[in-house]
Amino acid sequence: MSDQRIFSRYKAYEIRAELQQGNVKKHRASAAKRKNALKKIIANITMGFSSEMLDLFPDVLEFWRIDDNMEVKRICHQYLVAMASTKSNHFEDALRLVVGDLTSGSERLQTLALRTLAAVPLDPYADECHKAVRTILQKSSNSEKLKKTALYAILKLLNYDTTRASPLLELLYDTLSNHREGPAVRANALFILNEIQETTPMLQNFSVDFDTCADMLELLAKLNEWDSARVLDSLTGSYVPHSHSDAHHFIEKSVSQLQHNNTSVVLNAFKFVLYLTKYVDYLTERLLKQLSGSMVSLLNKPAELQFLVLRNIILLLLGKEKPVLTIDISYFFVEFNDPIYIKDTKLEILYLLAKEDNLSQILQELKEYATDIDIQMSRKAIRAIGNLTVKLEQSADECIALLIELLDFEVEYIVQEIVSVFKNVLRRYPERYELCLEKLVRFTDWVQEPESRGSMIWIITQNYSHLPNYLELFQLFANNFLDEVLEVQFVILGSAVRLFTRNPTPVTEKLCVDILKNATERIDDPDLRDRAFVYWRLLSFAQNGQNGNIGMDAAREIIDGTLPPIALNTQLDPQIVEELELNIGTIASIYLKPVNQVFRLNKPKSLPDSPALNENREPLTIIAGDSRSRSSSFIADSIQPEFRRQSSSPVKKMDDYDKPAETINPLKDRRKSSSPSLHLSRKPSMLARKLSLRRPFA
Amino acid sequence: MASSIYFCDTKGKTILSRRYRDDVPASAIERFPALLLEAEHESSIIPPCLTHNDVQYLFVQHNDIYVLTMSRSLSVNVAQIFSFLYKLIAVLEEYVKTVEEESIRDNFVIIYELLDEMLDYGIPQITETKMLKQYITQKSFKLIKSAKKSKNVVRPPSQLTKSVSWRPEGIVYKKNEAFLDVVESINMLISANGQVLRSEILGKVRVKSHLSGMPDLKLGLNDKGIFSSDNSADKPGESTGKRANIELEDLKFHQCVRLSKFENEKIITFIPPDGDFELMNYRLSLPIKPLIWCDAKIQVHSQSRIEIHCRAKAQIKKKSTANSVEILIPVPEDADSPKFRYSHGSLKYVPEKNAILWKIKSFTGGKEYSFAAQLGLPSMSDVDVPKVKRPIQVKFQIPYFTTSGIQVRYLKVHEPKLQYQSYPWVRYITESGDDYTIRTA
Repeated sequence: MSDQRIFSRYKAYEIRAELQQGNVKKHRASAAKRKNALKKIIANITMGFSSEMLDLFPDVLEFWRIDDNMEVKRICHQYLVAMASTKSNHFEDALRLVVGDLTSGSERLQTLALRTLAAVPLDPYADECHKAVRTILQKSSNSEKLKKTALYAILKLLNYDTTRASPLLELLYDTLSNHREGPAVRANALFILNEIQETTPMLQNFSVDFDTCADMLELLAKLNEWDSARVLDSLTGSYVPHSHSDAHHFIEKSVSQLQHNNTSVVLNAFKFVLYLTKYVDYLTERLLKQLSGSMVSLLNKPAELQFLVLRNIILLLLGKEKPVLTIDISYFFVEFNDPIYIKDTKLEILYLLAKEDNLSQILQELKEYATDIDIQMSRKAIRAIGNLTVKLEQSADECIALLIELLDFEVEYIVQEIVSVFKNVLRRYPERYELCLEKLVRFTDWVQEPESRGSMIWIITQNYSHLPNYLELFQLFANNFLDEVLEVQFVILGSAVRLFTRNPTPVTEKLCVDILKNATERIDDPDLRDRAFVYWRLLSFAQNGQNGNIGMDAAREIIDGTLPPIALNTQLDPQIVEELELNIGTIASIYLKPVNQVFRLNKPKSLPDSPALNENREPLTIIAGDSRSRSSSFIADSIQPEFRRQSSSPVKKMDDYDKPAETINPLKDRRKSSSPSLHLSRKPSMLARKLSLRRPFA
Repeated sequence: MASSIYFCDTKGKTILSRRYRDDVPASAIERFPALLLEAEHESSIIPPCLTHNDVQYLFVQHNDIYVLTMSRSLSVNVAQIFSFLYKLIAVLEEYVKTVEEESIRDNFVIIYELLDEMLDYGIPQITETKMLKQYITQKSFKLIKSAKKSKNVVRPPSQLTKSVSWRPEGIVYKKNEAFLDVVESINMLISANGQVLRSEILGKVRVKSHLSGMPDLKLGLNDKGIFSSDNSADKPGESTGKRANIELEDLKFHQCVRLSKFENEKIITFIPPDGDFELMNYRLSLPIKPLIWCDAKIQVHSQSRIEIHCRAKAQIKKKSTANSVEILIPVPEDADSPKFRYSHGSLKYVPEKNAILWKIKSFTGGKEYSFAAQLGLPSMSDVDVPKVKRPIQVKFQIPYFTTSGIQVRYLKVHEPKLQYQSYPWVRYITESGDDYTIRTA
């Protein structure tokens, strides 16, 4: 086909020649040729040669005038929009033509012209656009499509000049409340109002009342799928239920949308229903089942959508003591053909779902993955096992047994990973697993990666009293001090000093002094050097006893104080969860970050206040079956004990030391930059970052 | 929503683009190849969303292209964007058959037109192919003729303004037929010792409608949820039927189905779009036994050879037959000189997949076949023992059979104006899903 030639670079004069070649009008062959030439212009603009194509402006205008063909018109309009940034003075001439199209009888041309008017950021165009929008929206005979285009034009005009366009908002309100308008028009008016409220400082108090909301939900059946999704999206947050019964009413109305085939409708309906559940006094078991079911069935969609759904499931699991979703863990078993980002996310979910009663099943799976052919996967699985050990105290034995079993495979990367995770395990249960130590230190020669080396050194130091040959082992690392990476050097320095303070013998003293000497004299890194100096000074103060304030005991307390216990926090701050839940299906839900943390422009969402709002967010009563009578109101826990998350006493905070143990993904670059004294004062955001996608697949 | 849409080649270079909003700078796309490379470099995997300079890159992969949208807002509705991108690809496929780099270049004018119709200001609009085809005719050269004939520009169809946005009026067929395909895919994960770890049935009902006018259809299934509530009042004979009613989970319907009617009365009624579409899909996670059972004993004699004994059995009714059965058994890399002994089907070593492929054209229910294979392994190999942890994958098709037992009881076609006679046809098929795998020990 000749189209192939279209996609190559042309000079303006070449195309002009072609355009003028057959200027005898009404001739079929020349019309085709002309069209071909016009196509070349567009192709060249696509390839980025727009400045060259700018020369053809007068020619394009000429054809616009004489040619009635829809396709030619379309290309001309497209040309105009593409050239908008040049602000060429031909635009004045063009405006007349655009307005001409706008007043032509044809709806398609009108739409095209209106779009062009709104897309060209020039004052005269905006003026015309204002006029056009008003006349179109006020005339009831215009078609739905044209009116929709006019509505979108308002959005564009607002972006172009906010103050001038603000009177148009009235028009939007009128359209929304006008019952004679077509369903799609009203739906889009709602959507645009909501969009304006979200992205601009205007319309702060935009809200939808009960009747409008009811109307909109009635319209759903008549809308196309995208419009339905938008309506559900817009209603979330803008309609505020004033009583429990209102909320119940709308939940019932919208729950059927969960069965739509279009993922975006389902997710938006899910969001809307979940939002409404904040305003009710009880939930029915059936509703919860429907919600869970709708999520599960989305897991069979293409990978990208599946990924989005999985991330949202994580969000829902993170949020609650008692998650809304009850999904069998087997759905999150990793499939061989899954893309790796899906596997990764599933692993995270498995970890979050793990509880005492399903642990053995999950461990069995993790073991499969740990011996997987894919090294990344295997490492992540081991890390997950390690974290589970820390998380589930009662089942720690089972997890440890598996780790030891995997250790016996004697595969290099498995060993390294296990050593890395064992640090946290031993820190969590200091006196419980000494028996494993022997086994671990057998692999001292195996550990090569900085993290596992650091971990091994820490383990040796911390448990020296159980290891008769600890000095020998430690020496292995200490001798290498200068060649290690910075991260390991820090650990060696700290460990050497600690060994000395714990067990001050001539041997440990020499060891300690050697390291301090090396660190202060032969290391270039200022942080490491300074720390060595601090240690050294502290120790010499303490030993000389010049200053009465610091004795050896005090120094020991400083250097080797008791570590705060590790606790895992698998929950986000309720405030953030609340915001994220209003953002289901958006990017924020993938990154699990509150919107305004990244973009100041976007406003944080929060649940609007209402008498019906479940203020203290206590778990709702769940009623079995459909009955509305609350005769048998028992708490959800008693119905579905297996789905209840282990709610350990108030969540302990771990805001010192390493990274939280639940990170499945080692965030390599981050770790380097964060010195060991990383302070996690803002824990939720930290967790959000761990779960973020920035570098999740390291 | 979406600020722009791009079609990029495998390297991330733009083939075609359409910008809807100016909030993302035009230069942002130039970063895309680098971002892809970076993501790949870092972890050899590319997630479907990337961020750079506050710009969100959301994309799906299809054949040799990326379809990418960009957005600046973090609250952009990803669900909508991904669903739309898939829909867009589906629509393009109807126009250009395969969507790939070449076909996009060849048809860029049509694609521009489609993008104009399907998105307005980056907001998804009509995506029903039948409706779009009225606006945008198949090939551009066809347009010349119509332009010659009518001096006036083509009037737009009035259908878009009607409440049924997915079906134009005035469709006429000589013979009014509706074809129903009930397709069930089985996903199954079986452990090495034969235990079924996970099984599910994914069913869908595809409809090909060749019906005139604006027909209203009513579909009856033997689903418990659908039948129990109307108490078989209108169909008294049905309740005594032999077949047990089954309960479907997670029904999902095409946008034409009246969801509120289904929710309240459990009746599936709809005005179908013309042509092919997927009416509904459902999921069942009841425990099922493997339809094609397969047991492979793989013995690796390291550094010399590998022996495989494999048995497969069709655990389906004697009357049924499984067609085009394919069993893919993994073997270590670098295996050579395969020797096979087998009774049925054809056996082939596929070195590029590092696997043995066993094909059985037709596998009658209750039969059991087996084969034995031996492959040589290189005597020199790495220190590590070659580990084969890939699962056995099985593919098959079983016609005239649904695993769930779902049955179409009736399909009533009612066209109020034309009142024609119509012929509904139903076919059933069960096939393997994407994940029908058996783990190897």
